[in-house]
Amino acid sequence: MDSTGAMGQVLSSKVAPVVENFLQGSVLDTSKDVLIHRLRGLCDNAENQPEIFHDHEIVFIMQGNPNQQPINFHARHSLMHPDAWHLRYLGVADIGDKNKLTLIRHCVDAGVSSNVVDFLNEMGFKIDFEFIAKGYFFHKGRMKVTVSKLYKILQPGSTDQVEPLSQSHLVELSVVAPRVQEQIGEDMKNFAEQLKPYILYKIELKLDHLQTV
Amino acid sequence: MGTIDVYPYPVPEEKSGQQVVDTIQKQLELLGAHKSGNFCVDCESYQSNIQTATQQRLLHLFHNSEQPATCFSVLDSGICLVSDLLFEVLVLKLTEKKTGKECYYQQRKGFKVESKGQRYELGDFIVKVGSVILASNFRGILIEVEYCPCVIPSECWNLMKEFMQSFMGNMAENPPAHIKSKMDTIYTPEDTIQQYLEHFNNFRKATSASVPATPNR
Amino acid sequence: MQKEEKQLEQSLEGLIQRVQELKNAIQLFLLKLEHEYESLNWPSVLDNFALLSGQLNSLGRLLKNDKVPALRNHVFLPLVLSPDRDAELEKLTERRVMMFNHAVVPDYLRTKPEPEVEEKISQLTNKAGTVVQETAQKQFNNLNKITSNLLDIINSAKEEWESESNQKSSQPVTFSTADTNNLVSTILFGKSIKVTRKPDTSNTQSQGMSNQQQQQKVQSATVSKAPSAIKTQIKAASSSHPYQRP
Repeated sequence: MDSTGAMGQVLSSKVAPVVENFLQGSVLDTSKDVLIHRLRGLCDNAENQPEIFHDHEIVFIMQGNPNQQPINFHARHSLMHPDAWHLRYLGVADIGDKNKLTLIRHCVDAGVSSNVVDFLNEMGFKIDFEFIAKGYFFHKGRMKVTVSKLYKILQPGSTDQVEPLSQSHLVELSVVAPRVQEQIGEDMKNFAEQLKPYILYKIELKLDHLQTV
Repeated sequence: MGTIDVYPYPVPEEKSGQQVVDTIQKQLELLGAHKSGNFCVDCESYQSNIQTATQQRLLHLFHNSEQPATCFSVLDSGICLVSDLLFEVLVLKLTEKKTGKECYYQQRKGFKVESKGQRYELGDFIVKVGSVILASNFRGILIEVEYCPCVIPSECWNLMKEFMQSFMGNMAENPPAHIKSKMDTIYTPEDTIQQYLEHFNNFRKATSASVPATPNR
Repeated sequence: MQKEEKQLEQSLEGLIQRVQELKNAIQLFLLKLEHEYESLNWPSVLDNFALLSGQLNSLGRLLKNDKVPALRNHVFLPLVLSPDRDAELEKLTERRVMMFNHAVVPDYLRTKPEPEVEEKISQLTNKAGTVVQETAQKQFNNLNKITSNLLDIINSAKEEWESESNQKSSQPVTFSTADTNNLVSTILFGKSIKVTRKPDTSNTQSQGMSNQQQQQKVQSATVSKAPSAIKTQIKAASSSHPYQRP
């Protein structure tokens, strides 16, 4: 059980899901119910009520000297089951390839114990920002669809006092896979087509966006 | 999962590590224990490289074959994060050197320790006889004893002590230091890792102290 | 006179051709029904019907055409009836009519309805004749009323439908691009929620930084978008310590 060997194996055998295909969009609050209705019809388990979630996400940043590139970790936990924590690294979306049907980014997910906030702090991470996301979760095969309302936390540490951000719900489509596969992009594009006019589209995030933050 | 105590077992100068391991194993078999596979606990250490931080930090990444999908990360302050194996990829992200950029953590070379060997079952007990290997050199022996039916150390200490004395002699006179502080709390796999960390650190210290005399490599 | 005859000839030829086509289509369809009834699906049956109806239509159009002389003005006169087999006729009719005799002529050259039908028609005409003028008028009016009512209903339904589909094409806005961008920047970079912490993090960071870097930090904190300048500055800053790593 060589640790680096085992990990290297996991990475090189490409079984670990580390590539995320995603599309992002938004829907105005007034039209949200229509979208939810349509998603219920399109996704698996149409006969059940849509799953809801209420999450608190804290984004940590590691910043060193100018020679070190800042790195972000997203720690998220459900406010309905506060002990279930999840840590996620997101790479920069691949914006070079215009032919790709979806945005693609590197993504690593790991379930972690609930002391993750203290742990990251001691590792040298600082809290960058935090927010609350509340909404609905659907899945169709391995595709995950979330429709969520984002809230700003007014008082740091208190997840009850919140204020909604914008008049829209964020809509995200995501498939996490071990490697880049054309088929996934096509499937997602087809699915997104059916959500028109609540168009999900590729957002060309400019690099300078990253630098300013 | 029950309560686990981990003890170092001395290797006399005139004997080799393997000889001692063989003796213990023979004794266990005489007691009626039967082999149930191999085990391995390993630890990799990373050193922080963050200038703004007040002090340098050490991050220890553990794997335990008893919890094969889990990765335990311990900082030198003692806080332990239990996570999926993929957390390791997150740590790799911190050790990555991008072009022209520096990493935040780097692996300490020659610091990898593992304890591996035979796993025995004897009734409600599981005994693991591990040879400690530091940077591919044999450094000593760690014996792990688990009493499965009980998770409160104080409740089963006497029983475990009696059992351990039957093949380890008076090595197990007192509970391990880490357990002593939490005799009445529920035992978790994290506590096993903390015990191993303590022992691994001792082996590392002993090695670095003896390095000037016998420079190995 | 000759011109008319020529026209007749041409239109007859046309008619024969159309009828031939129609016949072929029917034959093909029958063949399909008989031999492929297992694999035949409803859409393809419908396709066949559509083909037939198209051909019937074109036949009808041909008959109504100005260039076709009024065929009813022409008389068809059988000159000879013979009980013998007529080889020519047999060939022409694909062995359907063997001879031109007394048995077949009344059927094929009939210009009036069949006797039973004729009887029925005359019965109905008699019945219609007996109805009193007033009642007939009443029924007329009633029918007219019903028809116009039906027309109204159909028209209003049509209008409703059209206005609905118009509405659909000019649907209200259901999303806002600006909101999408804002929300995405929020979850990725903390846009519009990361305000309080900004100054103190940049303070602690600035200790080990060169002036240039500080400048960049301040810039990035105040100006939300300063793309190219920042990029080059970062490059410049990193290249100022090229040998820092051991």
